[in-house]
Amino acid sequence: MDIEAQRRLDAVRVRRSELENSAIDEFVAGRVSRRDFIRYASVIGLSMPVLAVVLEACSTSSNPTTGGNIKKGGRLNVGHQTPAGAMDPILTNDLGRLTILGQCGEYLAFSDKDLHLRPVLATSWTPNADGSAWTFKIRQGVKYNDGTTPMTVEDVVATFNRLADPSITGNNALSNFKGVLSKGNVTKVDSQTVKFQLDAPNGNFPYLVSSDNYNAIILPASYNGGWDKTFIGTGPFKLKNYVVNDHVSLDKNPTYWDSSNQPYLDGLDFKFYESEPSAILAFQAGSLDVYTQFSVSNGQGLLSDPNTTVIDIPTSAHRQIHMRTDVAPFTDKRIRQAMALSIDRSAIIQGLWNGKAQIANDHPIFKMYPSSDTTVAQRAQDTTKAKDLLAQAGVPNGFSVTLYTEQVQEIPNLAQLLQAAVKAIGVTITLSISDSGTYYDKYWLTSQLGITDYGHRGVPNTFLSAPLVSTGTWNSAHFNNPTYDGLYKNYVKAIDLPAQKAVTGQIEKLLLDETPLIIPYNYDFLTAVKKKVAGVETTGMGHVNFRLAGITS
Amino acid sequence: MLRFLLRRVALAAVTLWLLSVIIFVASHALPGDVGRRILGPFADPRAVATLDHSLGVDRPLLVQYFDWVGGLLHGDLGTSLSFHTPVAELLLRGFGNSLKLAAVAFVIVVPLSIFGGVIAALRRGKLLDRVITVGGLSATAMPEFVTSIILILVLSVTLKLLPISVQVPPDTDPLTQIYHLILPSLPLVLVLFGYIARITRAGTIEALESDYTRTAVLKGLPWRTVVIRHVLRNSLMPTIAVVATQTGYLIGGLVVIETMFNYQGIGQLLFTAVSQKDFPLIQAGVITVGVIYLVATLLADISYSLLNPRIRLAGRE
Repeated sequence: MDIEAQRRLDAVRVRRSELENSAIDEFVAGRVSRRDFIRYASVIGLSMPVLAVVLEACSTSSNPTTGGNIKKGGRLNVGHQTPAGAMDPILTNDLGRLTILGQCGEYLAFSDKDLHLRPVLATSWTPNADGSAWTFKIRQGVKYNDGTTPMTVEDVVATFNRLADPSITGNNALSNFKGVLSKGNVTKVDSQTVKFQLDAPNGNFPYLVSSDNYNAIILPASYNGGWDKTFIGTGPFKLKNYVVNDHVSLDKNPTYWDSSNQPYLDGLDFKFYESEPSAILAFQAGSLDVYTQFSVSNGQGLLSDPNTTVIDIPTSAHRQIHMRTDVAPFTDKRIRQAMALSIDRSAIIQGLWNGKAQIANDHPIFKMYPSSDTTVAQRAQDTTKAKDLLAQAGVPNGFSVTLYTEQVQEIPNLAQLLQAAVKAIGVTITLSISDSGTYYDKYWLTSQLGITDYGHRGVPNTFLSAPLVSTGTWNSAHFNNPTYDGLYKNYVKAIDLPAQKAVTGQIEKLLLDETPLIIPYNYDFLTAVKKKVAGVETTGMGHVNFRLAGITS
Repeated sequence: MLRFLLRRVALAAVTLWLLSVIIFVASHALPGDVGRRILGPFADPRAVATLDHSLGVDRPLLVQYFDWVGGLLHGDLGTSLSFHTPVAELLLRGFGNSLKLAAVAFVIVVPLSIFGGVIAALRRGKLLDRVITVGGLSATAMPEFVTSIILILVLSVTLKLLPISVQVPPDTDPLTQIYHLILPSLPLVLVLFGYIARITRAGTIEALESDYTRTAVLKGLPWRTVVIRHVLRNSLMPTIAVVATQTGYLIGGLVVIETMFNYQGIGQLLFTAVSQKDFPLIQAGVITVGVIYLVATLLADISYSLLNPRIRLAGRE
């Protein structure tokens, strides 16, 4: 670093908080990568000009995405999974709805494919010293897509107090806010500032008010249900017409606030598909310009189609194979380890996902997370060691067990591959595969051995708590480990990245040793786009951002 | 005739009542909890219980049944649990769409298969007869999802002759709408052609071998007149019965075709309802399909009896 750069860096450090300076130190010292630094800086609210100075001083440059030759106008036909219920932000819990919410509504921040937080309706945010209170500056001059109503700080306060309200039936945001944010603890500081007083310190809180918490689109304070009639929001599109279970047509919002990033398209026509193969056929026949998400099993044709661009985003969506740690034979951790050692992860990823998944290490702190400790060794297939462990545990000839799971995507195939793998070490698995509703009602939390699907999260907090903490509500492995519970608490309250990493390494090693869960992979989010379409941005959560999308000339 | 009609209507009412009981019991026997389906697998059990209570699905089955039938008799089909939309609105749209698709399929398949059946009968044992009967049978034996995919790949993806998108904006002119409906009706035509043509062929052969045909030929009538006036009039009776029973299938049973072509008819609506465990929608949907079947069969009986006095007079003896 030259003297001039050092001088500029010192200049920006002066007014930075201890937390921000710690992040800068880590980056300058080379302990975090550029990618992780940008990601983390966005979480703690380091402003763009400061970020630019730091990056420039360290001889790296930010790399803005190019737009291509997109022409103004036109509409896109978008094939999309049928929404699973009423179109209402607070009830939304599926891809079918969340993608639509994100066209007309906006969040305080947008969590992009690399888990960077991009300011949207908030312009900046800062935590207090221990991360138990966060203050957000709210963007001024934003209007809703009805063309008249201005967005205010009161709207932000009302939106989050509603999302933290446990008395609303079906409030899906509680899965993020329970134990984090309570109703009434979001308050107006002044006409531009909102304060979130948390139930406990939380270093990752900005993700919970970003697009990763897809329920959290900002709505007018007066909003009282009936979103499906208005599609109100501050987003780049507005409702043209919506027919339940069939389609939704959106027009460009002519009063969209971001004057330098106006949408190119005149509108979007979402057509809902119940069946994936028929959507893929429609895409191939040219009726669709975009198909928002497809699976590898049905979409082989799209992966090799020269007229299709496949947008491939790694996500933290994964499958958990749980073993009940409180029922024999899985009470012995050597038996659980043996099960995990019997599978060939690379072969499974190739076979089930055509390589469109990432290898995982039996814990949910996937490598894509900046807080992941990548020095922890990857578990690999070792049948001999697995057999030894079974012998040590007193079951050299194996045992029989029933595996319960659901008929969802590739899960039954994964169950079969596991069945074949453990056969090699003498364990006999009987498969019981039911529809998803039955599995969750009857077997999810009671079965001795089972496979459950988990969707993407921008931070691993939920994955580390609900299925693994001794009091966790999704703890199907019945894992009860006081050391783990303590580590989890330390992780949540760690607000700077080095502190988080210090804990994650211990968590990863503990989970590998105890193996309450086998997590073989986290898989990619695949979107198919016709070659003539450019500028579509997707995220692991399933947001498909068309704001800067269009047809190339 | 009136007595005949009254008897048929009374029978239809009993059938509908039985259907209502069966579908009510069957839909409640579906695995899984309604609240859980709506709120998703990870929802808090207390929230699920609250929702179940507010929807009334935690009440005793008998209470729920009478509540539902009471609503039905007052013309109230209820509200869809998952879509928060009146069931009547959803069904009406689905029914309208299915009717359009069925109409296009009907207009193609009925004349085509009758013509095919008669030609096959007249050329009995010849090559054309073999082609029509064997070809028709093979097409009937092929499942719709196979023929659908083949037709889409050939006619739409490769040759680009017909559009794959079935649904067109509602303000589109009728001709364009029909054009878009041709592709999805082709698999239906393939399924029904063999069946209807076979029945027509059998009826025609029987009529050709009858005494009155021989008499007509012997008295020197031209062959064309014999076929049109004497043979066809008698040979089409079984065909009418078959066509009428297929009407119900065409309007209510197209789950596979409608899903394949992503067509929002009553079949796909029912499919969604079952996967969502949306009781009001499942029950009202099945009852609607039941009514369609019954009306179609009743109309078939009436037209049959008009063509064949022996049936309607049978009741007087």
